Amino acid sequence: MAGSDQGGRGEGSDRAREEFLSEAQELVDGLGRDVLALDELSKAGRSDPELINDVFRAVHTLKGLSGLFGASLMSGLSHELEEVLDDLRLGRIELSQRVLDVVFRAVEAYSSLLVIERTGTGDHAAEVEALLVALAEVSHRGRAGGASPVAQYELDPGLLGVLTEYEEHRLRTNIQSGQLLYKLRVQFPLATIDSALDELKAKARGHGEIITYLPTGGGADADAIELEILIASKEPVDTVRRAFSADNVAIDEVPRRLPQARMTLPPVISTTDRNTSAPPPPENFLPEARTQALGEPPSRLPSMSLLPPDASREMTLRSVSQTVRVDIRKLDHLMNVVGELAIVRTELMSVVDRLRGRAELRGLMHDLLRLHRSFERHLAQMQGGILEVRMVPLGQAFEKLARAVRQLSREHDKPVNLVVTGAETEIDKLIVEELSDPLMHMIRNALDHGIESRDERMRAGKPPVGTIALNAFQKGNQVVLEVEDDGRGMDPKQLAEVAVKRGVLTAEEARDLPAREALALIFRPGFTTREEATDLSGRGVGMDVVKTNIGKLGGIVDVSSDFGIGTKVTITLPITLAIISVLFIEVASRTYAIPLASVEEAIVFHPDMTRTFEGREVMTVRGATLAICPLGRLFGHTRNTALPDHGFVVVAHVGTRKLGLIVDRLVGQQDIVIKALGRTLRGIRGFAGATELGDQRVALVLDVGALVDEVFASERAAESGRAPS
Amino acid sequence: MSSPIVRRRHDAIGRLASTDEKRSEYLAFVLAGETYAARISLVAEILRPPPITEVPRAPVPIIGVVSVRGRLVTVMDLRRRFSLPEAVIDTKSRILLVDAGGDEHVGLLVDEVLQVYRLAESEVEPANVLGGEQPAHLVGVGRPSVPDSRRGEGPVLVLLDLRAAIDSRGESAGALPARRPIAT
Repeated sequence: MAGSDQGGRGEGSDRAREEFLSEAQELVDGLGRDVLALDELSKAGRSDPELINDVFRAVHTLKGLSGLFGASLMSGLSHELEEVLDDLRLGRIELSQRVLDVVFRAVEAYSSLLVIERTGTGDHAAEVEALLVALAEVSHRGRAGGASPVAQYELDPGLLGVLTEYEEHRLRTNIQSGQLLYKLRVQFPLATIDSALDELKAKARGHGEIITYLPTGGGADADAIELEILIASKEPVDTVRRAFSADNVAIDEVPRRLPQARMTLPPVISTTDRNTSAPPPPENFLPEARTQALGEPPSRLPSMSLLPPDASREMTLRSVSQTVRVDIRKLDHLMNVVGELAIVRTELMSVVDRLRGRAELRGLMHDLLRLHRSFERHLAQMQGGILEVRMVPLGQAFEKLARAVRQLSREHDKPVNLVVTGAETEIDKLIVEELSDPLMHMIRNALDHGIESRDERMRAGKPPVGTIALNAFQKGNQVVLEVEDDGRGMDPKQLAEVAVKRGVLTAEEARDLPAREALALIFRPGFTTREEATDLSGRGVGMDVVKTNIGKLGGIVDVSSDFGIGTKVTITLPITLAIISVLFIEVASRTYAIPLASVEEAIVFHPDMTRTFEGREVMTVRGATLAICPLGRLFGHTRNTALPDHGFVVVAHVGTRKLGLIVDRLVGQQDIVIKALGRTLRGIRGFAGATELGDQRVALVLDVGALVDEVFASERAAESGRAPS
Repeated sequence: MSSPIVRRRHDAIGRLASTDEKRSEYLAFVLAGETYAARISLVAEILRPPPITEVPRAPVPIIGVVSVRGRLVTVMDLRRRFSLPEAVIDTKSRILLVDAGGDEHVGLLVDEVLQVYRLAESEVEPANVLGGEQPAHLVGVGRPSVPDSRRGEGPVLVLLDLRAAIDSRGESAGALPARRPIAT
């Protein structure tokens, strides 16, 4: 498994493996969704056999896939999980929280195993081993306990064997709700069977539900066919007999078995895997699976060596779906090509401009202009198309979170409701990937520190079950994500006190600290130590990391909290990493781009507006004080420490902090494709990347967050008497 | 851009040097009057310098970034890297596009690109002939025995490992302490 890209493996098998991994990932994701839905249903005291069947099928397919690719831990896990699910769907065991817990664990284990398969590093054997035992326990206990309700009836195994999953489900549901079962034998003349059957169905509808009907194979003559009809009804046998009497049918109640008698249902294996593109696993899987000793977990797994490896790969490569999985790097490449074309377009336009002055070439110029417009339009469509492909719904990330919330809330014994809105909001695939960890962190904080214990909530007059809301919505070119809890909230005073204790603020500063800024303290690295977090009974564990990670995506994090009422953390992100809107500015004859998301406004600069206030340069904008800094000085373009005598102030904001960057000239606003700087330049603060200008030149894109941090940090350093950095 | 030329030279030399001794190809270039050479396998392309965008706060050897067909490339001035006196970019200046590993290319600015040499192992002296401890990017001295009608002796090439030169960017002054003795 390790070193799959370097070893002697051919490209073809690498691709097959890649296919396997993505297919398995999709199945596991779907599994997570379904299990979550089952959990919801189970909380409401309901169940859905169809859903359990879906889960069973997914696990079954996973088992086949992982067996084929030698992912032995995964196939072993699937094997045992399949047993439990089989018990569940056949009603041998109840869908209890305990069973669900184990199933959830298995879904998590799949994710970990897939990562290990992909990277070739890591070891999950111990957890899988433990899981296998847990799975065996729930399935075994189930077997020792109550039998399937269906098994209580004397039904012909031949009949049960041909029930569709839906029919099986209806049968079980009817039995569980206390209906009686009747078997009807009816002779239909072949000529009129359709209408006669419809008639009978209509009649039956008033008395119960037809579960299934089958030809019996018997029958008096060749012109008639005898059907056996299974009906569930509340009514006693006499009533049913009377209802159907006119039709000259034989009606029998299906008797219950004696309690000790047990029967095993023939397994109903779906051969049409509607939900997966994988072929059903080879036959030898099933007998082996069933003959496995039931109580003990298999430590080593059924091997798939019976199939030649090449055949198996062919099977998994065959795909029936209409979708194509694309490596995002390929999309990046296409995006680059589009960027190139945009440059061609600009140059084309300059040719048009040169032709403009030539009267004799006017016709040519107009043709070229027309072509240029058409080119431009199609280019825009192409760009839009590629961006659209990169977009995925946030729901992907949310599902993982929902599982985590469930797990955490059970571990901490803090019941919470997770309310998700806007899961359909779409955002760049790369952003979704990077979002999982920060979101998980915030959710964990909300549960750990925000939501109070049940008792505490009761005392505070709150509902005992806490609520965590996860909201997503689009706002212009940005996507806003909110994690909101109705927990205890944060106390600005307490935060400020801790800040003083930690030496982040002086006592004096703390006294005058506005509440909003006090809350922003949780984003300081100094607030991440464990003891502080517990002292505080508030948040802050790693919130600086969250902020940094979100910042890398070009987003910002903000927090608001009402003490005693709750806390809301808001993340604002660009919709895509590929294209951002920027303001081009010039300073010392150099062009830079500032992401518009961080630009509040731009105003004409005049030295009269400024003053120096305890060593800080500030100006007043609409009655509020704004810290300012000449960009040329910040970047060392000028040795002159004095403020320039003219120019513009670009008011940049990051969260609640603002900084006025003084520049020479505003060039204009544009949507750009941003590219990362190379490794050699990665350590340099202040730049988020670069973008190409039309004329083969490159402009750097500022990382406003880093610059604001830097200016404020150096000011603090200067204040506390140390040398500014 | 110029890679076809390099390739053509390649082939020409390949046809000339028909000896069976194992040979490696080196691209020779000039920095401050001295001839250097580096294995050509790492050089993806030779470019005329496009406009270079300066990156404030970058380490000294880095002059900035350029765009090469839509890819962002960091450009390092090898003169600065080796603490040689700086020069202005002129018509002979070239950027060697070097595969820096990890799907990244770094541009190295040199004064002039000369030609490709196919050096036999016997024509390469190890770096320790220069005496003392040498920096990692200095891998030896090449003495191609190219028949030269005017002089009895061929050029002397300072052989560089370009990846090492890129990686140890923290190193600064005194990168090539033994330059003078080897000049012939």
